Amino acid sequence: MAFKHVQSLSERLSPFQKFYLIVIAGFILGPFIPLLIQSFAFRWAWPDLLPSTWWLEQRDKSMLPLAWDYVFSPYSRVWEATVNTVFIGSVVTVICLAICLPAARVLARERFRGKSAFEFFLSLPLIVPEAAIGIALLMIFIRLGLAGSYVGIIIAHLIPTIPYMVRMLTAVYQGLGRDFEEQAMILGANRRQILWRVTLPMLLPGVVAGALFTFLVSTNIFLLTFFLGQGQIVTLPTLLFSKISGGTLDASAAGITLIVTLPGIILLILSERFIKEEAFGKGFGN
Amino acid sequence: MTQARHDTMRRRERLRVILQLTPILAVLFVLFGGALVLAVLQSLGFAPWFGVNTFPDFSYFGALWSSTSFWWSLGLTLYYATVSTVIALVLAVLLALALIKAFPGKTFYKYLYKLPLMIPYTVGIALAVLMLSNGGMLSRLAAFAGLIDDPGQFPQILKTHYGWGIIAVYVWKQVPFITLAVYAVLLGIGRETEEAAAILGADRKTIFFRVTLPQILPGIVSSTLICFAFNVGAFEAPFILGGGFPDTLPVVAWRYFNDADYTLQLQGMATVVSIGLVSGVILFAYLAAYRRYEMNMGRN
Repeated sequence: MAFKHVQSLSERLSPFQKFYLIVIAGFILGPFIPLLIQSFAFRWAWPDLLPSTWWLEQRDKSMLPLAWDYVFSPYSRVWEATVNTVFIGSVVTVICLAICLPAARVLARERFRGKSAFEFFLSLPLIVPEAAIGIALLMIFIRLGLAGSYVGIIIAHLIPTIPYMVRMLTAVYQGLGRDFEEQAMILGANRRQILWRVTLPMLLPGVVAGALFTFLVSTNIFLLTFFLGQGQIVTLPTLLFSKISGGTLDASAAGITLIVTLPGIILLILSERFIKEEAFGKGFGN
Repeated sequence: MTQARHDTMRRRERLRVILQLTPILAVLFVLFGGALVLAVLQSLGFAPWFGVNTFPDFSYFGALWSSTSFWWSLGLTLYYATVSTVIALVLAVLLALALIKAFPGKTFYKYLYKLPLMIPYTVGIALAVLMLSNGGMLSRLAAFAGLIDDPGQFPQILKTHYGWGIIAVYVWKQVPFITLAVYAVLLGIGRETEEAAAILGADRKTIFFRVTLPQILPGIVSSTLICFAFNVGAFEAPFILGGGFPDTLPVVAWRYFNDADYTLQLQGMATVVSIGLVSGVILFAYLAAYRRYEMNMGRN
């Protein structure tokens, strides 16, 4: 009897779990199939399961660029949005690293009064609704002349990225331990040598993971960019928003959706090895 | 002599700690704290740049809270946030439990389940439009199966106050996030306690509710907190997929803010502060309940 229960805990999937994994794969990936088809469609009326006319058939007859022609043309602003997204994401990542590295070192190694309260404060931006921060910041930035500028958007992006970055880097520092730095110190290395020759090389994988994730969070931010960009700076999420805000999705919007998905797929492939799942398991204030 | 040197060293060490924490503190205090304080001040009538300075003035909150549409909006906001967080949690825990098993294609699945986490909400919204609208794929499949013969017969999913489109987008985006947190904790705790319980004769249900669930609770609480707060403050999904008036609170705040009548901006600020207050109270109660549970469990 007991043996049967032990078996039920086996390392293998139950039939329900097998079924469930297939359903989840369908739920996550399924919608991308019609999206891909839609991006090549010219006429796709209800209830056809495939388009009756494809984009390529109409390509030469049309006055205006269609589907992918439109996506890759300057009219769509896809290129501009991509450049903006990458630029903002990179600057945010660099600033975020510079701010969070020293803080993470302290959080991983020092004990001080009010540390848990401080850690809770660092997590707070994750649990304050984004709309509240966005509109409040917009008011300030309009006064300061930062609304609609890159500087304003980059500053705003720091708020949701810092909590993740500092968590991931703290986990990295905790895993590193102090021994190697102490050995280097005993062997006569000075602070700078220790930093560049010992600490940074050992931190590198974790730092890369944190940087990739921060970049990702920044590229995915819609609300802060939309509110603070004042329509003057388009990024991929805000560009897509303007295409679908009417509640319909034509072929060019489907193409743009696919383009907006690409950075995420690239980063997923790059970062899967780096992202420490442990950094997400950490609770709030414990 | 040595004592004095020891003291200076300690003081220098403390100074270094403070210096290293200064940048992060400065950024969060000035930006985040400053924004929140200013939002509260404005909602109470402090806006000298409009020539409005009646601080402290509770009339903006009074006007807002006495309108029925505010309470409808609040109810809708909390409804979408709660329902989607609960559904995402159930799906995510099931997924995490499956992912710790060994199976062919596991590496592929570890990529696959994170995909929605990596892409913007607007992509999720586009997919919802494509799949769930009356002329969308599900409607076509229903027609293909002979269930309906007109798009109008397909049940309206988007642009209703039931908000199943909004909820679908949130769930799609947030299942990976909660799964990641729960899976991380599952990896950390190992399977020894579950095996011990199994050997002692516990059945699967008992093992899950008495052994596994209490251990993954920290991951569940922190990830659902983040998801819930995000859902309360999200703008794009209810804006595109919502049922129109009454809108969710972030959309209401945005409309006030963009109104030609700029005095309504203060009303918008009162809305923003209300969002913060409501979600703050709920999250605080949630955390307090969790702390209490932990105390009763004898942890912490």
